Amino acid sequence: MHSVNSILALFYRELKISYRNFSDILSILMFFLLGILIFVFSIGPNTEIFNEIGIGVIWTLILLSNNLSLRKFYQNDFNDGSIILLHMSGLSYELIVLIKIMIIWIFLQLPFFIIIPLAAILLNIELPNVNLILISFLIGSPILTSIASISGSMNLLNQRNFAIGSVIIMILSIPIIIFSVGIINASEEIVRAQLQILIGILFFFLAVTPWVSAACIKLAIQNK
Amino acid sequence: MLLANNISFYRNNNIIFKDVSLALPPQKIINITGANGIGKTTLLKILTHVLIPKKGDIFWNGKNIKKNLFNYYKDVTFVMDKQTSNINLSVIENIFFWKKLFSSIISKKEIDAILDLLSLDNYRNTPINYLSNGEIKKLELTRLVIERKKLWMLDEPYIGLDIETINLLNETFINHTKSGGMIIFSSHYVPDIPNIENLQLENYAQR
Amino acid sequence: MLTPLIILSVIALTTGLVFAFYLSPNDYQQGSTVRIMYVHVPSAWLALLTFFIMTVYSIIGLAFKTPFSFIVNAAVAPIGATFTLICLITGSLWGKPMWGTWWVWDARLTSVAILFMLYLIIIFLKNSFTNDSLGEKITAIFIIVGSINLPIIKFSVDWWNTLHQPASISKLSSSSIDPSMMRPLIIMTIAFTLIALIIAIIRIKAEISERKLKN
Repeated sequence: MHSVNSILALFYRELKISYRNFSDILSILMFFLLGILIFVFSIGPNTEIFNEIGIGVIWTLILLSNNLSLRKFYQNDFNDGSIILLHMSGLSYELIVLIKIMIIWIFLQLPFFIIIPLAAILLNIELPNVNLILISFLIGSPILTSIASISGSMNLLNQRNFAIGSVIIMILSIPIIIFSVGIINASEEIVRAQLQILIGILFFFLAVTPWVSAACIKLAIQNK
Repeated sequence: MLLANNISFYRNNNIIFKDVSLALPPQKIINITGANGIGKTTLLKILTHVLIPKKGDIFWNGKNIKKNLFNYYKDVTFVMDKQTSNINLSVIENIFFWKKLFSSIISKKEIDAILDLLSLDNYRNTPINYLSNGEIKKLELTRLVIERKKLWMLDEPYIGLDIETINLLNETFINHTKSGGMIIFSSHYVPDIPNIENLQLENYAQR
Repeated sequence: MLTPLIILSVIALTTGLVFAFYLSPNDYQQGSTVRIMYVHVPSAWLALLTFFIMTVYSIIGLAFKTPFSFIVNAAVAPIGATFTLICLITGSLWGKPMWGTWWVWDARLTSVAILFMLYLIIIFLKNSFTNDSLGEKITAIFIIVGSINLPIIKFSVDWWNTLHQPASISKLSSSSIDPSMMRPLIIMTIAFTLIALIIAIIRIKAEISERKLKN
């Protein structure tokens, strides 16, 4: 039984918590910008090279920044027992997963809509390309958040291998980066096709993620 | 009425306990006792369907909780050994969150009364991380009053509480049963409440 | 049970190798380096077959809670990883005389490299949980998620390849092979499958004994 009150209560609580931890969000944005900076230092300020690889660099860093949200999803609520509390209030685990993904997308991915144009300016990328990046980011970012949710839920009781969560996120994100970067400098039909594929992948992940994450959370709760 | 029939729980093919049965009708209190590690928390988690037993069924008002889970949850408050209050929120924010989460009809006056009773009134707007462990535990116990459910399940509720709060908790337990509720908890400490049934888990454990 | 299999695999392997090295012709383009194909292709086939088997057993294990399924997963994952590695190494050795470099980002090699990393993740993931039964279930979920993603990844790598690479390199992956080359290929594939089966049986037995010891 999903009372609207419970759903809203959880939603507002997560909003409040995320807002109070705003420095976490800003840190992820700083990670992204520092990554751009590191690329610039490692390659040299040759603007012609940036025209070729700038978009790839931006997308790579979006992917890497996604790794940082791994523990943010369920770890704290799992450790202090709130996730059981949320379940007992009538919210199914799938719904909890959905709400968490929405909140984390709003706070950790939405700011990128401002940061990506900033990075594009730093890398001298032309304006029409920036629009394309933002469109593919609009479709790709929920997919990335879903992937992080899956990896976060799998690694709730993983206390030995700290890196594998990020590795899982990265390997599952490979199709997204291929189709997102590919829409730059491509012909009209290819752009359309790739966007459609991205949307297809998005629907697939939106359907599968709540079920997979909920299953992993339930397994973790039963095996604590 | 809560009924548990022949609950057996295994962990990695080792028996934790076998054939535990209990009946918890209204106005009754059961205290699960036993040595550390005997399985008290496990039994409570099984009764709230957080863990699944290898054998046995649990019935609430005649219906198997497995098939009727959310209806069962509407009648249960589970206070665990962990504190579910969020460190990013203040005392009153946590309370309002629980109020909305469980669609509770508790009034602002009643909330003020409880905070006053538990000496948490001065900490209304303090974030949780400034409170002592005992105070956080007291906050967790307010859930019993906020959720206002019939069946109360508590895991080691007395740990860390001062004498005043222990007496308060006992009083609350007695009032709850008088008005038709039922309580099951695990504790090493034997509270000063008349007519508590004791469930000694040693009798069922295989150690 | 093992002895007839061992005999069979020895026969298959010897026949295959004889065909591969003596009785099959040289490729008109590549000369005798084409013979690496007789190790490379069966390894690739086995790498994929193992993944498919693990996926099936993961589904069965999660749905019906049979412990044997997870035993198979644990036993077979390193076998798949090894054959993927053999495929990568032979592919690289084949590539050096062919394209002049040890590595090239053609669609097939890239997908196999990703498959190899999937195998490693599976092995590492299983060992990163202190609770073994939790570890095998989470790994099973990951195998299913990974196997659904595998065609997506393969498709996306192919897509990326056609956007970036000219078609000449993909000529190698063409399936129009002369029957005189097909025969040793099939025999070697059968031989490799039998060898993998033998190793799998040994590992499954070992895994069962290990679990009995733990309990």
